[in-house]
Amino acid sequence: MLTVEHLTMVYPDGTVALKDVSFEVKEGEFLGVIGLSGSGKSTLLRCINRLLEPTEGRILWNDKDITHLPQGELRTVRREIGMVFQQFNLVKRSSVLTNVLSGRLGYTPPSWALANRFSRQDRELAFQALQRVGIPDKAHNRADELSGGQQQRVGIARALMQDPKMILADEPVASLDPVLAHSILGYLEKLNTEDNITVLCSLHYLDLVQRYCERVIGLRNGRIVFEGSKEDIAKMSDERFREIYGEDAIRMGGA
Amino acid sequence: MADSKIAPPVVEAPRRSALHGLLSLIVPGLGQFVAGARTRGLTLLVTVLTLFGLSMWTIAQRARFPEYAVVTGDYLRIVLACAALLVFLLALRHLLTRFVLKDPLAETFSLYGVVLLFFVLVMFVGDDILATVLSAESLSHIHGMTGLYSGAALAALWLWQVGDAARIGGEHLTGKRTPSMGGAIVIACLLVFALGYNLTGVNLPKAIREYQDVGILLPRILWPWRAAFAYDQEVFEVVQKIQAPCPDGATGPGSNPVLANDPWVSATPTCGDLSVRPTTGGLILGTELTITAGNFVPGQEVLIRWANPIGNPFTPRGMGETTLIIDENGGFTTTLNIPDAVVSPETASGDQIHSLIVRQESVRVFGNRLSNEMNLALIGLLETIMIGLMATFFGIVAAFPLSFLAAKNLMSPIMGTPERILGNVLGVLAGGWLGIQVTDFASASLGGLEAAPVQVFLIGMLAVLGLGIAGLQLGGRLSEAALTRLGKDGGYWVSSGVLALLAAYPGYILGLGFSRGIRSIVLGAEVAAINEEWYGALGAVLVAVLVFWYLYGKRHTRRVPVGLMLYGVVRTIFNVVRSVEALIYAIIAAIWVGLGPFAGTLALTLHTIASLAKLYSEAIESIDPGPLEALDAVGANRLQTIVYAVVPQILPPVISFTVYRWDINVRMSTLLGFVGGGGIGFILLQWIRLYQYEAVGIAVWLIAITVAALDYVSSEIRERFV
Ligand SMILES: Nc1ncnc2c1ncn2[C@@H]1O[C@H](COP(=O)(O)OP(=O)(O)OP(=O)(O)O)[C@@H](O)[C@H]1O
Ligand SMILES: [Mg+2]
Repeated sequence: MLTVEHLTMVYPDGTVALKDVSFEVKEGEFLGVIGLSGSGKSTLLRCINRLLEPTEGRILWNDKDITHLPQGELRTVRREIGMVFQQFNLVKRSSVLTNVLSGRLGYTPPSWALANRFSRQDRELAFQALQRVGIPDKAHNRADELSGGQQQRVGIARALMQDPKMILADEPVASLDPVLAHSILGYLEKLNTEDNITVLCSLHYLDLVQRYCERVIGLRNGRIVFEGSKEDIAKMSDERFREIYGEDAIRMGGA
Repeated sequence: MADSKIAPPVVEAPRRSALHGLLSLIVPGLGQFVAGARTRGLTLLVTVLTLFGLSMWTIAQRARFPEYAVVTGDYLRIVLACAALLVFLLALRHLLTRFVLKDPLAETFSLYGVVLLFFVLVMFVGDDILATVLSAESLSHIHGMTGLYSGAALAALWLWQVGDAARIGGEHLTGKRTPSMGGAIVIACLLVFALGYNLTGVNLPKAIREYQDVGILLPRILWPWRAAFAYDQEVFEVVQKIQAPCPDGATGPGSNPVLANDPWVSATPTCGDLSVRPTTGGLILGTELTITAGNFVPGQEVLIRWANPIGNPFTPRGMGETTLIIDENGGFTTTLNIPDAVVSPETASGDQIHSLIVRQESVRVFGNRLSNEMNLALIGLLETIMIGLMATFFGIVAAFPLSFLAAKNLMSPIMGTPERILGNVLGVLAGGWLGIQVTDFASASLGGLEAAPVQVFLIGMLAVLGLGIAGLQLGGRLSEAALTRLGKDGGYWVSSGVLALLAAYPGYILGLGFSRGIRSIVLGAEVAAINEEWYGALGAVLVAVLVFWYLYGKRHTRRVPVGLMLYGVVRTIFNVVRSVEALIYAIIAAIWVGLGPFAGTLALTLHTIASLAKLYSEAIESIDPGPLEALDAVGANRLQTIVYAVVPQILPPVISFTVYRWDINVRMSTLLGFVGGGGIGFILLQWIRLYQYEAVGIAVWLIAITVAALDYVSSEIRERFV
C-alpha cells in the first residue's frame, strides 16, 4: 500500500534527519516506528504525506509515485491518509465539532470555506465519528475545554472524517498518562481491525509496541537499524536493543 | 587572636603611563589606540570630535554668527579655561590625598566628587570665567552659557580620556582588563544635554516670570462652560425727562408715574441747573435729583445714563452712582446731580429737555440653548469620531487580507518554479487588465463613476481582484503545462529567460529613477535628463541579468521562494507607509481632495492599513503551527487552512488590535483638522488663532472626554476578548 524507497531528508540547516530509509507497509497492517528522541520518527511520518519535502528518494502510494505530485493532486492523496499528532494539533478556540469537521476539508469545495459551510451529511458524519471515540456530548464545547485524552480522541475523530485508508500517528500518546495511552491506542487498534485502516504509529515505549504493533521498524540517527515482528522485539538481545536505543538505554516495561 | 584576623588584601595603586596620557592629550584616543585598545581609541576620537563640532555649530547658529574661525577661537578658550580649572581641582585633590589624608589609593576623595565639584563651580563662577577669557565683543554675540556648559563637559571629557589613556597604557603593560567607559558616557551625555537645553530654547526664568499670561487664560480654558450655552437677554430702558437749565417759573416735564407691571423710573425735581466746570478748574454741581425706579429684574445691574437735548447719551461721572444693583423688590433709590451736559447752542430757543435713562440688560442665569461654539464643537467632535471610525473600518477591510501576505510563517512555505511564476505574473497582469475593462464597462452601463460611485467601486474591486487571482491560478497552470512540453530543462530556461526580460522593465524604471533622483541632485536636472535613457537601459540590463543569474543558481532545486519574496516586498511597503505620520498624509490629502473630513479619512486610512496589517501579520506569525500542519495533512487547501486554522487563532488579538487602533485613530483625527483634515481640530485651530479661549476650552474638554471614554471602552472590549 505504501512503499518508501531510499528516502533521505536534509533540513535546510544541514541536519540529516533521514538517511536512505526504505520499507514497505502492507494494507491493514499496524506498523510501529520506534527510536530515540531525535532519531527521525516525526520527520519520516511527515515526509510520507509530504508535510515535509524529502530531499531524495521516492514515496509510492498504492504504486503511484507521489514524491513530486503538484499541490492539487496531492490533496486527493492526503485526504486518504489521516494523521494524529502528539500535541493533538486542534484549533483550541474552535468547537470540537468544527475541529472534527475540518477533517472533511479535503473533500469540500474550497470556496465553501468562506461561508463556513459544511453539508448536512458531513455534520452527520462528524457526530458519528465523535460517537465512535466516545465523546458525542462534547461536540459543542471549545476544544481547549477538553482533557488531553479527550482532545486526542477529537484528533482521531478528525482523521476518521477523512475516511482514511491509512492513519499516520506521530507519538499519539506521548503526552498522555499510561491509562489514557491504552485507551487511545485501543481506538486506533479498533479502527485497524474493524475498518481495516492501516496504521503507522511511532511510539516510545516498548510495552506499547509489543501490545499493539504487528511489525516494527527501529530508527537510529535517521537510519533503519531494525525491522521485525513484535515477537522479535520480545526476544531481542540487549546488544540489539542498544543498537536502537543507544549505549546508555535501559529496557523498560515488557509485554 | 592575630591568626583569626584576616589580613586585608594589599591593593596596589593602578599603574599609569604618562606617555599614553600625553598622546591622548594631543590627539584624543591616540594613547588608547597605541596601547592596543583600538576601538576604544577610535570611539573616543570620533566622540570628542563630533561633540566639539556639534557644540561649535550650535553656538554659531544660536549666535547667528557664522564666522567659525572666531567662534572656534572663543570656544577653545572656554574649553581651555575649564580644563585649567579642572586640572587645578585634580591637583588639589592629589595633594590633599597624598599629603594630608595620607591615602595613596585616593579612596577617601573620589574622582567623581572632584568632577561634581567642578561642574558646581562652573555653574557659579561661569560668568567670571567667560568674562575673563572672552572679549567684550565675543561676549555680546556668543551665547556664553551654552559654550560654557558644553565647554566644561568637553574639557572634562578630554581630561577623562587622558587619564584613561594613562591607565590603559599602564595596564596594557601589566596585562589587565580594560576599565569601563562609564565616566566618558556620563560626561558625553551631560554635553549633549547642555546642547539640547540650548537648542530647545529651555528658558526657566521666562517660564516663571510670565506665568500670569497663561494664568489669565487658563481658567477660561479649564472651565469654559459659560460659553457652552446661549443666554436670552432682555433689555429694559426707561426715560425720565428733565429740564435744564431751569428758567424762572418753569416746572419741568414732571415726574413719571409709578407703573404697576413695567419697569419705571421717576425723578424729583424734573427741572434744575446743570453742573458747571469753570475754565479756572473745579466743579460746581448741578441740582441733585432723587431717582427711584421699580419693576426691574432683581439682583442684576442697571446703568444710569444721560442724554442731552440733541440726544447723545453718555455716562455722567462724579455726579453719583451710575451702576446700581437692583434690590430684591426690583427697584432702587439714588441721587444724581444734573451733569454738565452740552446744551444746544444758545441761539436755540425753547426748553432744554434732557433724558435720564435707566437701562438694564437682563440675563437669564441659566442658558436654555447651546451656544454656537458648543454646536460647532459637537458637530466637529462627531465628525472626528466618524473619521476615526471610517478610517478604522476601511483599514480593517484592506489590512486583513493583506496581512496574510506579510506573515512569514504562511508565506515562507510557498515555493514556485520559474515555469509557474511566469504564468502567474502574466496571468495576474492579464486578469487585472480584464478586471479594469469589466469595470469600465460596468461604469459606462451604470451611467458613469459620478452616477454610481459605490457600485462602480465595488464592482471594480471585485473584478480586478477576482480576475487577477483567477489569472494568477490559471496562468500558472497553463504555462506550466505548456512549458513542460519543452522538456524539463527547456521549460526551465525559457521561463527563466522570459522572467528576466519581464524584470527588465522595472529595472528600466529603477535606472530612470536613479538618474532623475541621485544624478540630478549631483549634476543638475538638465544635465541628468540628457542621457537618462542610458541609465534606464543600464538598470534594465542589470536587473535582467541579476534575475537570470538568481534563477540559474536555483537550477538544481528548481524551487524559488516566491512566498518569501512577496513577504519581503509587502512588509517593506507597510513599514515605509507606517513610518510617515498620518498628519503628513493629511497635508497631501488636503491638496488632493480638498480641505475637510474626507482628506482626514483618506490620510488616516492609509496609515491604518499599514499599521493594522503589520499588527495582524504579527498576530498570524505567533499562532500555533500545529493546526496548520493538521489541516495540511487533511488535504485542505490554502484558503481552507486560513479560514479554519488561522482565523480562529488570530481573532482575539485582531479584535484587540483593531479596537486599539480605533482608539488611536480618534485621537489622531482630533489633530488632523490642524492640517486641514476636518473634524474638531479644524475649528479648534481657528479658535486658537482668534483667541477665543472659552471656545478652545470647550473643544479641549470635549476631546478629553471623548478620548477618556474611548480609552475606557476600548480597554474593556480588549479585556473581554483576550
Ligand atoms: N525544522 C527542523 N530544522 C532542522 N532540524 C530539524 C528540524 N526538525 C527536526 N530537526 C532535526 O531532525 C532530527 C530528527 O527530528 P525528529 O523530530 O524527526 O525526531 P523524532 O524521532 O520525532 O524525535 P522525538 O521523539 O523527540 O519526537 C533531529 O536531529 C532534529 O533536531
Ligand atoms: Mg517527534
